Amino acid sequence: MLPAEIKETLLQRIAHAIHPREQAIDVMTIMQSHYGYMSDEAMEEAGGLLDMTPLELEELATFYNFIYRRPVGRYVLHICDSTVCWMNGHESLLQHLCTLLQVEMGGTSPDGLFTLLPVCCLGYCDHSPAMIINQVIYGDLTREKIDSVIHKLREQAHAS
Amino acid sequence: MPKLTIDDLEIEVPPGTKVIDAAEQLGIMIPRFCYLKELGPAGACRMCAVKFLQGPFKGVQMSCMVDAQDGMVVSTNDPEAVAFRKQVIEWLMLNHPHDCPVCDEGGQCLLQDETVSGGHGLRRYLGRKRTYRDQYLGPFIAHEMNRCIHCYRCSRFYQEYAGYRDLGPLQIADRVYFGRFKDGPLESPFSGNLVDICPTGVYTDKTARFRVRHWDLERAPSLCIHCSLGCHTVANARYREVVRIEGRSSGKVNAGFLCDRGRFGFGYAAHPERPRNAKIAAQNVPMSAAVREAGRRLLEIRESSGAEAIAVLGSGRSCLETLGMVQHLSRVGKWTAPDFFENPQMERKVKAIVSQLDARLAVSLRDVEKADCILAIGVDPVNEAPMLALAMRQAFRKDAKVVVVDPRPIFLPMRFEHLAVSSARIETLLQVLLQVLRQTDLAAPPAPLPQPIQLSEGLLSEVAFDSSVQAQFHALVETLVGSRNPVILCGSGVVGESVSSLAADCAEVLQNAKGKGGIFYVLPSANAFGAALLASSPEHSFLDTVEGIENGTIQALVVVESDPLRHFPDGPRLQAALTKLQFLLVLDYLPSETVRRADIFLPTCTLFEVGGSFINQQGRLQAAEKVHAVGTPIHQATDEAMRSARGEEGGGKHPPRMYDLGIPGGEPKAAWEVLDALMEALVPVAEGTWREDPWEVLKQEIPLLASWNGRGYPADGLHVVPEKRPGAAVALPLETEAHTSPSEASLQLLLVDWTFGTEELSQYAAVMRQVEGEPFLCMHPQDAERCGLAHGDALEVRLEEGSIRASLKVRENMACGVMVLPRHGRIQWQELRNLSGRVPFECIQKISTDTQVIEDLR
Repeated sequence: MLPAEIKETLLQRIAHAIHPREQAIDVMTIMQSHYGYMSDEAMEEAGGLLDMTPLELEELATFYNFIYRRPVGRYVLHICDSTVCWMNGHESLLQHLCTLLQVEMGGTSPDGLFTLLPVCCLGYCDHSPAMIINQVIYGDLTREKIDSVIHKLREQAHAS
Repeated sequence: MPKLTIDDLEIEVPPGTKVIDAAEQLGIMIPRFCYLKELGPAGACRMCAVKFLQGPFKGVQMSCMVDAQDGMVVSTNDPEAVAFRKQVIEWLMLNHPHDCPVCDEGGQCLLQDETVSGGHGLRRYLGRKRTYRDQYLGPFIAHEMNRCIHCYRCSRFYQEYAGYRDLGPLQIADRVYFGRFKDGPLESPFSGNLVDICPTGVYTDKTARFRVRHWDLERAPSLCIHCSLGCHTVANARYREVVRIEGRSSGKVNAGFLCDRGRFGFGYAAHPERPRNAKIAAQNVPMSAAVREAGRRLLEIRESSGAEAIAVLGSGRSCLETLGMVQHLSRVGKWTAPDFFENPQMERKVKAIVSQLDARLAVSLRDVEKADCILAIGVDPVNEAPMLALAMRQAFRKDAKVVVVDPRPIFLPMRFEHLAVSSARIETLLQVLLQVLRQTDLAAPPAPLPQPIQLSEGLLSEVAFDSSVQAQFHALVETLVGSRNPVILCGSGVVGESVSSLAADCAEVLQNAKGKGGIFYVLPSANAFGAALLASSPEHSFLDTVEGIENGTIQALVVVESDPLRHFPDGPRLQAALTKLQFLLVLDYLPSETVRRADIFLPTCTLFEVGGSFINQQGRLQAAEKVHAVGTPIHQATDEAMRSARGEEGGGKHPPRMYDLGIPGGEPKAAWEVLDALMEALVPVAEGTWREDPWEVLKQEIPLLASWNGRGYPADGLHVVPEKRPGAAVALPLETEAHTSPSEASLQLLLVDWTFGTEELSQYAAVMRQVEGEPFLCMHPQDAERCGLAHGDALEVRLEEGSIRASLKVRENMACGVMVLPRHGRIQWQELRNLSGRVPFECIQKISTDTQVIEDLR
């Protein structure tokens, strides 16, 4: 169950929309930031708020990269695999990340902190290769830069 | 009209025609996957590429996306276009499994055809194929996603065309998946169409799975007789059994689609208990002997009590040939006038409806799709005539306004305005509407429109409609006045007799002003229209026959393809009456209760075995062809043989074969043939008054058919309605009494139809058990509260000597003071003997609260 205040915000958003459907992505994003991911139950709950069937929401949720239908780690790393990043060393960086985090693409690290997912183009080609972690974008990636970012995130996680 | 050249052939087509359709008219089938005329172009599959040589477009273009234009020169076999299509099909085949030998689509697969036509023969792709997990989609449809080529036909049909919201495209790019949120039966009663439209084997008919190959089938154009619309079908049979029904496109009825009741409800024809032998006192005898004996006993009764002591009952599920023969037999034999309706009330309503229809007013199902305003009165399309809902949806997609006036909790796959008023008030509402329409200058309506209350001199407020209904009514009047092509739909189930004529009057007023629109009635059975044309005597009904039996004036009853024990509203009374009969002769193909009680039983054929003509609710006379030979389906005959080989019921030893000249179970004949044989036994040939050809009989009996020989039907059937209806009904005085003081402590009982589980024929199909659900009844929250009941309660309704049990669904969107009870096959609603139609509160008892009410859309 959603806390009353989040639910209230969502209902207000929906009420202000011309078509409730246009708020579908926003509602799912907000709910996801509360739950961590969109479970089947959350999908049905969102459907109830938006007057949409779970299937209609699922069409959107499975289309977009940033809505997670399975549990994810605390930090979700979307590493860009589009052409420019690929030209500038995406593959070796990905390998490095997998070793560093002990995950395969699509997996979550054993400590539950990191989930590694692909994304096709962050629009950051001028700073390729790039990745985005919990809405913070990192460009001009190198192994060293990745190491320090991951190190920082681990420390941050342990501190809290 | 644009004139273009396709492959050196010239053709002129109406503006807006796509090049792919223009080519089809020339007999050139351009390969396609996503394009389906009814769904419109999508341009998704790239398979219909052709080369434009001259005209406004140049080069390779998709023929489904380009409108035919003057001066176009198109080549479908230009090397460039051919190479393009070859690559497209190779690409679409990348992930397609090589499972044609075990795929039900094999042999009638568009993907197979187009792979061959595209010239793709050798697989060059060596990688792993993409695979999916399939879903359970209910008892009708098998899902096999690996075969998908992503044409989007299924989701476009399911969501856009039909308006249901539980199947659609999921995921992205090369992982796109068509399915549901979770495993579960599809909610749409039109799901079977996925089988027809899927160009490959993603959706196949689960009921026919692994049973047939297309090239082994006996196929014939047939009709759906599961409601009154008369949709066109193709019936597919194998080994003396229908295995699959497909849609067939018709210019006037269905656009090639079918509802699931019509598609999957054919199981009655091969019911394992279907009586296939003539019987005397429940003992099998040869047909000829049974006919002779039946003739003898009827003659005996005629001798002793006169010909008037013999009555005959037919029904609207028989073909017109049979109904005509019933009429003829009864007239030649000088019997009591025949009845064609088991339910006397329904008979009056259907007759009233038939008398209203004329060639100008009656619109077809396809015309409903073109309406810009639809007013549905006392009709529940999804449940009574599902394909009507699909037609309404097409109108809605073109921005038509839909208004429903009905006491039931109506669900439609579209947005609509619902005036939930009781049956009696519908009449009042229509009278006011008619008055308002007559007083308004429809050609040049004043703006803003005055309130209907003022227009109707306060009539609306006088009959105490609450303000919300009045507001809805005003909006309805405005919509109707502003419309260009208004169509009125009118049912026969829950509304009074006079509603049909009021509706026709409204339609006529509107049509006179607008030059378009009309009326569309829904009748209770496939041939109710034909039955009403034949039922000549307006005073006589089956109720009179039952009275006759009770007081001894009628001693013999001949029942032809009818089950009065199912349809007559007072079950116990009919049961008692039947025991008083001296002789009950039944002709039928269903294992019904009436058949079990017959003194002599004569087996008849189904539609699939002999064909037949039916008049649909619009008055359209259409024919179904014979599909397969009469006889026990091979697998059943084999089962019987195996049983007898094991020494089980029926005895017998190996070899389990009967040496006989005929086909096992091949005794049944068309009902009209049986009647003909019976007539021969009754009336000596020398008297020479009887005729063998049913059409000779029908010409005599139905003046509208006088010039018709029953052969060579036009594709869209024959519209058999008079040019002009006899005349507008006289406006009845408003009856305000009845509903200003509704009986406080009782509910009006409405026995209604439901998509699955109430229709007579489909109920005998085993697969329907899985979708019909549990018996239930619906009440308005206010009524439920007054009775102290809640949603989900298990109830018992006890009236006089009968009772029924069902769970309660509380529905906001229905009229107050009404109890809606679908005639579910598992409840004995006939025992309620509910002729008055009212249920006092104290008769409704709660049994328990722990039943699970299956929540659905409806």
